[in-house]
Amino acid sequence: MRITKTVAAATTAVLMAGVLGACGTSKGGSTNAAGEIEITCATCQKSATDPFLQFNFEAAQRFNEANKGKYHVKTLQNANAGSGDARLQYYQRLALANDLPDVFQLNSAEIKSLSGTGKLHDFAPDLKADAKWAASFQPRAFDALSGRDGQRWAIPQQQDPIGIFYNRKLLKSVGYDSFPTTWDDFEAMAAKLKGAGATPIALDGDWATLLMWSNLIGTQPAGSAFLTSEIATSKDWSTNQAAVKATERLRGWQAKGFVNADSFSGDFQNAASKYLAGKAAAVPNGPWFVKTNLKSANASPGLYDVTDAAPSPGWDSGQGLIVVSGAGWVSGTSDQTKLEAVGAFVRFMSSTDEVVKQAKATGSNPPVKVPAATVDAAGLEPLSSRLVTQIPRVAQTFPHARVHGPGGIDAAWKNLWPAYVKGEIDTKAFLSRLAAESAAGS
Amino acid sequence: MLPALVLFALFFLVPLVVLAVTAFSRWGGVDFAFTGLDNYRRLFSDPVFWKAAGNTLFYCGASMVIQVPLGVAVGMTLAMKVPGWKVFRTIIFIPFVISGAAYALVFSMFYNPSYGLLNNLLAPVTGGQHDWLFDSGTARWAVAGTFVFIIGFVVVVVIAEVAAIPTELLEAAEVDGASLIQRQLFIVLPLLRNIIGTVILVRLLVDIGMFDLVFILTSGGPDNATTTLALYAYRAYVQGQWGYANAAGSVILILGATLIVTVRRAFRIGERAL
Repeated sequence: MRITKTVAAATTAVLMAGVLGACGTSKGGSTNAAGEIEITCATCQKSATDPFLQFNFEAAQRFNEANKGKYHVKTLQNANAGSGDARLQYYQRLALANDLPDVFQLNSAEIKSLSGTGKLHDFAPDLKADAKWAASFQPRAFDALSGRDGQRWAIPQQQDPIGIFYNRKLLKSVGYDSFPTTWDDFEAMAAKLKGAGATPIALDGDWATLLMWSNLIGTQPAGSAFLTSEIATSKDWSTNQAAVKATERLRGWQAKGFVNADSFSGDFQNAASKYLAGKAAAVPNGPWFVKTNLKSANASPGLYDVTDAAPSPGWDSGQGLIVVSGAGWVSGTSDQTKLEAVGAFVRFMSSTDEVVKQAKATGSNPPVKVPAATVDAAGLEPLSSRLVTQIPRVAQTFPHARVHGPGGIDAAWKNLWPAYVKGEIDTKAFLSRLAAESAAGS
Repeated sequence: MLPALVLFALFFLVPLVVLAVTAFSRWGGVDFAFTGLDNYRRLFSDPVFWKAAGNTLFYCGASMVIQVPLGVAVGMTLAMKVPGWKVFRTIIFIPFVISGAAYALVFSMFYNPSYGLLNNLLAPVTGGQHDWLFDSGTARWAVAGTFVFIIGFVVVVVIAEVAAIPTELLEAAEVDGASLIQRQLFIVLPLLRNIIGTVILVRLLVDIGMFDLVFILTSGGPDNATTTLALYAYRAYVQGQWGYANAAGSVILILGATLIVTVRRAFRIGERAL
């Protein structure tokens, strides 16, 4: 009996050692059964609702096909793959556990936070070693994805101009054939639209409201400098005159009723639904708005045909445009063999063919320079790509406050903005606290 | 016995010890250093913490004022087996069993100033589109107002307790000439003392750690008018200040324990009512 028990225990021990050994090999190893270097992707899953994820899934299949026998992207099913409040925490936990996926996507604020863990791969040496690849990107494409010491934490996924979508029919009804080019004219139009029973501009108390705040700051002489550098420092924002002027004007719109009544919720769908129902004359957002909202079943019939996109008005005559490359491919591996496959994958994803396919599938714009003839031949969605041609024509280009601002700016804004609009805190207190609370939350 | 002890230690004692120790440290998951009372000094000098503590107590109070009396009244009424009482019991219990997140989403639509049911109902009186959740004057009350619909637990417990009351007592009172209302007020209600204390305890346990409802409805805004201690601790946690978050968590524990001991004594829970 004792012998049987001893044999059973020894067999179990050997089996367990084998299993653990196999686990160890699987964890540390880089190749799969087919001998391919296998990397995990946490944002390459199928999605019926997120066109970016769906594109990534299809692109990963193409990559696997093109690299059969060499590299293989393994899709991880990830509930936090799409952008959302919980995504950063999810990856932070994985970083703590030293278990980040080999490749995944983050936005600029998330990259800023996650790079602090020291677990993100720095692509700067890869780009330095491949000058042709590095030169293929649009100028400033890495602005929001870089570290203070020149690190390149991500390979840009897109570079989009973010403008204002407007309803030509509603504007025409109050005598406007095109979108205003100055803020004074915009406010005059807003008063007329309000009088006609329409919401002049649909906002949400978060993303879209911050977009308009950025436009109001960036179209002032020193505004662009604030949005690209000062906003990231620990300076008190209430000392910046461009920020003060913009904030007070934006508050004025709320007070005058130029904005939808549910503009404090922080839910962009509240703003989008007003526009899609034909009740709001304008809504600020990026080119992806066409695919995800304007061409969805939620849009009222014929709305797409009467919608156009414009750069932001300016304080005098010079208009402005937010240009962002706010999301990118990051890697959480330090395994050199896997990094070889990661390098191949991100090069593949930033190739002309793939960025054009992505633009077609999602409405976003390529992060790399694409010949005009290629763009024309691809027949990209016209409304989505219309603002790209306007970039050289506008007087100012500047980033969204989210891109260079501290990571906690959304939460701080959502908390303080309603109280400021209601007059419970003054402009100085609002901007000082916004700066401090944004920095604390990053 | 041993498995129970292991589970108790694993899921209660260990987290409690971790919380108690790390509340006196600077800890972000990797770095760790004891900092004495620094976290508590910072906590007690932060006006947002006091706002959060005040809001948490406000929600506990609102729960006691809204849910318990309403739940007991509805429970006592349904216990009389009025026509359709089983259907009403089910309807009233539904909000208690659906997830807090779904419940909060329904109420964010209910309070929406543009298309919300509340503004539509009040339109003839107010004539405007009031943003109940994002006005500092109404936000706390709007969140507390959702409590009205979470009385299912109290109702079901009260119905069960009333059913356990010997019918002889009520029949004797009826023979002595006591009216229905007198029987409910002077016989049934005093016999519910124990169970009312118990439901107050259960509600306090839920409300002292209130998070999901506020997080989804308002994220704690505007200007922290609805921030609770749990949300305050959560914010510190996501900012990587785990030691500080645990210091805030320890305040929730102490506050909860104090309230629970007080309620247990006030209602003499555990002593026989009959």
